[in-house]
Amino acid sequence: MKLRTALLGLSAAAMLNAQPKIIEMPSDSPLITFRVVFQTGAAADPEDKPGLANLTASLLAQGGTRALTYKQILDAMFPMATTVSGRVDKEMTVFSGTTHVDNLEAFYKLFQSMLLDPGWREEDLTRLRDDAVNYLRVSLRGNNDEELGKEVLYNEIYAGHPYGRHNAGAVSGLKKISMEDIKSFYSANYAQENLTIGIAGHYPAGFVSRLRTDFAKLPARAASRAAWRDPSPVKGLRVTMIEKDTRGVAISLGFPIDVRRGDPDFPALLVAQACFGQHRTSGGRLFSRLREARGLNYGDYAYVEYFPNGMFRFEPEPNLARRSQIFQIWIRPVEPATAHFALRAALFEFDKLIREGLSQAEFDRWRNFVSKNVNLLMRTKSADLGYAIDSAYYGIPAYREYVQKSLAGLTLEAVNAAIRRHLQSRNLQIVIVAKDCKRLRQSLLSNQVSPMAYNSPKPAALLDEDKIIERYKIELTPSSVRIVEVDSVFE
Amino acid sequence: MRVLIPLLLCGALLSGCASRKKIFPYAYEQHDFPNGLRLITVPTDYPGVVALYIVVQAGSRNEVEPGKSGFAHLFEHMMFRGTPDYPPEKYEAVLKDAGASSNAYTTDDHTAYHTTFSKEDLERILSLEADRFQHLEYSEAVFRTEALAVLGEYNKNSAQPVEKLYEVLRDTAFDRHTYKHTTMGFLKDIQDMPNHFEYSRQFFDRYYRPEYTTIIAAGDVDRARTRALVEKYWGGWKRGSYRAEVPQEPPPSGARTNHVQWPTPTLPWVAVAFRGPAYTDDQPDQAALDLISFLGFSPSSELYHKLYIEEQKVDSLEAENPDRVDPNLFTVYARVKKDSDLAYVQDQILATLSGFREKPVEKERLEAVKSHLRYSFALSLNNSQAVAATLARYVALRRTPETINLLYDQYARITPGDIQRVASRYFAENGRVIVTLRGESGK
Repeated sequence: MKLRTALLGLSAAAMLNAQPKIIEMPSDSPLITFRVVFQTGAAADPEDKPGLANLTASLLAQGGTRALTYKQILDAMFPMATTVSGRVDKEMTVFSGTTHVDNLEAFYKLFQSMLLDPGWREEDLTRLRDDAVNYLRVSLRGNNDEELGKEVLYNEIYAGHPYGRHNAGAVSGLKKISMEDIKSFYSANYAQENLTIGIAGHYPAGFVSRLRTDFAKLPARAASRAAWRDPSPVKGLRVTMIEKDTRGVAISLGFPIDVRRGDPDFPALLVAQACFGQHRTSGGRLFSRLREARGLNYGDYAYVEYFPNGMFRFEPEPNLARRSQIFQIWIRPVEPATAHFALRAALFEFDKLIREGLSQAEFDRWRNFVSKNVNLLMRTKSADLGYAIDSAYYGIPAYREYVQKSLAGLTLEAVNAAIRRHLQSRNLQIVIVAKDCKRLRQSLLSNQVSPMAYNSPKPAALLDEDKIIERYKIELTPSSVRIVEVDSVFE
Repeated sequence: MRVLIPLLLCGALLSGCASRKKIFPYAYEQHDFPNGLRLITVPTDYPGVVALYIVVQAGSRNEVEPGKSGFAHLFEHMMFRGTPDYPPEKYEAVLKDAGASSNAYTTDDHTAYHTTFSKEDLERILSLEADRFQHLEYSEAVFRTEALAVLGEYNKNSAQPVEKLYEVLRDTAFDRHTYKHTTMGFLKDIQDMPNHFEYSRQFFDRYYRPEYTTIIAAGDVDRARTRALVEKYWGGWKRGSYRAEVPQEPPPSGARTNHVQWPTPTLPWVAVAFRGPAYTDDQPDQAALDLISFLGFSPSSELYHKLYIEEQKVDSLEAENPDRVDPNLFTVYARVKKDSDLAYVQDQILATLSGFREKPVEKERLEAVKSHLRYSFALSLNNSQAVAATLARYVALRRTPETINLLYDQYARITPGDIQRVASRYFAENGRVIVTLRGESGK
């Protein structure tokens, strides 16, 4: 990999020259992969128009160019089996596409014109605004309790901060966004100084200078943005309950943490995360105790970085780099009768992790796991490019080397000290999606005993532990537990 | 028996060779062991990593006894519950020590267990997997608890209307065949699962046998070494004798409809289905229906342009023509933006399907779809796990990667006349099933 220019965090962007940064990964593969990342996103949305960054990116990736309608683009892409996808997070907007080298010329011509010469057609905006509204109201709010719970959690954790709005926006804000707003957002934020282009595969000599020339059409500098402010910490325990007619009860909880890639404690927290409940990995403590031993649900996980769309993915997506990260626990839907117990069990395990840390055997196992598992994260060229772009953002070496080298020198004491420094259960946002929230709220507020009943004999040690968990105290006050109707979420 | 298929090197994907280039680009070795186990080794050009897929040709299609729907899937869960030598904690410890990414899935026709790991751990993982396929052992208490995790999986899926639509479509379309239920199974059967410990043991004894199983090792692998390791750890596995009597579905007896009333506000759906053929790579019918699914309903189709881009009446339109061991359903799904447009969208889908019967498609459009399929396949093989995962789907049907080459040869040969003939044969009112879904009226 050649990283031609180190990309620094946005705060240092002004120090850079305005040339796009280009990351090259040449290989013999006939598949040519592009990953074009602009360092802008939903954090730059105006307060009254959340969703503007997302709608702008949608219009580029799923709209026409000046020369071609969206239909003509689809027709041209179809025989090549190519698509352009766009995705917006708080600080990054990524466009990606892969083509067979046979079609490189035709694909690239479309790809660059979509990003550099958009058509700004009203009918495309109408369609994509509808899609965004339907995504929020139907796909997320109506049809997916656990993703709904997690997305509300992300908003609540950052309440009052630019990170505290869904990337797709809110229905009322989306309805206010005009084509003029979109054009202004594009010209203010899609600039060469914000841009990194990753390319991999067997592309011809001279192709990179062509990229450089083409993307020089963008303005050199982006408009200045409001100064960064740190998010306010979550204070005390807060519960947001979403009332919805549904079978299960989905639970998520978390808070912002002050550790990101590159910080001295980040590798230690990666090991702690793996041991406690790495995403979709069985064998973590949460998974073992809640699902395997008790059959409460389908899975239970923990994170030290923002991880959207976990229901659809086994591994994290790159290019979600942020200036503030979160700690999160995800409890997949449980039966209503066991919801209070499940929340208690997760907090019981979390407190135990904070209090006792990892054992030497756990440390050895999970450090080794993380050190090898990092090899699998970059198995596609697109992911490889994405991680390289993120590493540049955080100012760290290539992610694989960064993780493996940091872990080699890590000790059990350092992991346990990092857990105590950064993880805590006194200040937490909890989000619960359930039917009959009033009853659950009452149960939570009164710390009502929540005994478990099993359909099979259980070991005495587990039943003893249940006796503690069923009375595990969660300190809540009536004002800290609010119920919202599902129809009002993301409106 | 050992077959080594050479890598065919020639120019671009769609031209260049005198004989047609095979679509599956890797040189693979296919080896049959005396006990019936098959090994397919596929060295790829992605270094350092191995993807291991173990495919068992048993899925929810094999759930032939009443009240046992969902059992193949539950059994997939049980495969993670340990053996005398490797209780679950020890099994997990080995996987974690290898930094492996591991999971499993169940479909109508097969179940696959997959692990991706660094190449130096190949022997450890092959030995670990051989142990659980031969010596799985779990208690009734563990079984009863795991059945609850399956209920949890049903619960997580149940928030999605399209899952319910699919469940009702299958139940409406089939009377006798086990495709009547989804892989997840009927809720009442899932709730009763904890009471069928003995059946779970029987399921293992019947189907977790070498003659039902194919091991795919793709990535940074050496053929001879992999073969020797599989022989060492899997060679002693005993062949079984059970053959499921899967009830065959009688011919369709008339058009059917059904409706799902969803309890909360959501956008309406329509599913328009017709009885299709079983998977085949030596007849054109299945291949022609695949092409129709793209011609009629992909993002470059006329109907997609009309309903999604121009009239903006739907926000999702797609067709599926799944590859299945027995005849299954060709289905078009649409999510409609307004309740009042549901009937219109349904009519448009039916008119599009009738159109294929009434006049031949343009040759140029047909060639665009063929090109799309070939490039789409090439683009999908972008890492070793993807190579193994793709092979698993086809190996589940014919136990050889060669079926992919044969299927793509079928695509290449399909003519506008074939499309018209196949549309006339399958899109007959007699075999039509339409299911709609509407939510409570809301925003």
